Amino acid sequence: MHLVARRAADFGVEIEGNVRFNLPTAMRRKDAIVGGIVNGIYSALDRRKEAIDFVRGEARFVNEHEIDTGDRRISFGKAIIAVGARNATPPIDGLADVDYLTNRTALQLSALPGRLVIIGGGYIGIEFAQMYARFGTQVTLLGRNRHLAPGEDSDLSDLLADYLREEGMVVHTSAPVVRVRQNGSEKTVTARVDGQETDFVCNAMLVAAGRVGNTDTLGLAQAGVESGAQGFVTVDAGLQSSQPHIWAIGDVKGGLMFTHVATYDGPLAALNAVKGLGRTVDYRVVPRAIFSSPTLAAVGLTEVQAREAGYEIKVGTVSADGGRSKAIGDTRGRLKAVVKADDGEILGFHILAPHGDDLLHEAVTAMYDHGGIDRIAKSIHVHPTLSELVKSAARAAR
Amino acid sequence: MNYDYDLLVIDAGQGGLPAAHMAANLGAKVALIERDEVGGT
Repeated sequence: MHLVARRAADFGVEIEGNVRFNLPTAMRRKDAIVGGIVNGIYSALDRRKEAIDFVRGEARFVNEHEIDTGDRRISFGKAIIAVGARNATPPIDGLADVDYLTNRTALQLSALPGRLVIIGGGYIGIEFAQMYARFGTQVTLLGRNRHLAPGEDSDLSDLLADYLREEGMVVHTSAPVVRVRQNGSEKTVTARVDGQETDFVCNAMLVAAGRVGNTDTLGLAQAGVESGAQGFVTVDAGLQSSQPHIWAIGDVKGGLMFTHVATYDGPLAALNAVKGLGRTVDYRVVPRAIFSSPTLAAVGLTEVQAREAGYEIKVGTVSADGGRSKAIGDTRGRLKAVVKADDGEILGFHILAPHGDDLLHEAVTAMYDHGGIDRIAKSIHVHPTLSELVKSAARAAR
Repeated sequence: MNYDYDLLVIDAGQGGLPAAHMAANLGAKVALIERDEVGGT
């Protein structure tokens, strides 16, 4: 919004006076949107109160068929664990003695930090870095891995890192943090950058380096439910835990930690728990997106992953510079289609472009039933739309 | 064995909520427990 206001003159919109960003107002708007969603959930639960008893409390297993909620015990035939995950506390020297933000608290600030250092170059780090930089904070983003957004196509994530730098952020990759210190409200983050220990001084620090399951107070052992590293519940392909009458869904099982995976898991686990249907999850086609600008969105295998898996592939790469992107004033980005060389089946699709999160679903639906690249390459797309970029990438992969 | 509920869903986030609704649709007696705020993070 702020960026658009500053660029308004390019579009012939003249603004007299200064354009300012008001954080408390933005936070109130966010809270109102979230509040509306929460109220909708309570209304839906209220309509089902005959069938669903909503209980306020923290569950702790006391045995295989009972939990303690703090003020009473509840017995159950079967259970579904859906307690989610939270930010990990990485083993960084001094972290325990420093005040730092998490993805939760960083959305509850009442004043903009002047200088913010973000530890972690994954999706949370990237999204918060760009958001606060656009609000007006000086942001430094420190990623431990060679590329931002590890696991995504590195050509695209490197390009995104360049865009973040062009917007004024300091971005370092291959930059593990070795220690943090606090003196008053001032914090110093020391990272190894190009082999040299380098200090980054800031007044706010966000730690977004890994996730852990929210199972530490759940008493999994009392219920005979096994968990692995970082407190994630171990499940089979039917989302069943080591205890046959207990299932786990969403982030708490680790792996693909997306809301849309949790939403997919929920009904499937319920079918298995209530009806014993023995359904198994199919995670072959799980789309993902980093809500940066431009958006980095992807589904399926990257070029590197497809080659490692032994596929002979064709890759179609195009720039995101098209008619519509020129019109909206953002031509940054690149799209990449990865297809099987012999029959053109789509193995992966990677989009760094405005609205890449929405654009991706053409490839998602095609991949769902093993569709070939011609579905996208040969079908007529509306002109002028960003979807023409998806078609161009598909044509380049034929 | 008689239990208070056929199915207990622990936490009302974006996975627990559709799980509880589906189980209720299937006729199960469901308890949904939440320690914080519904909707997840």
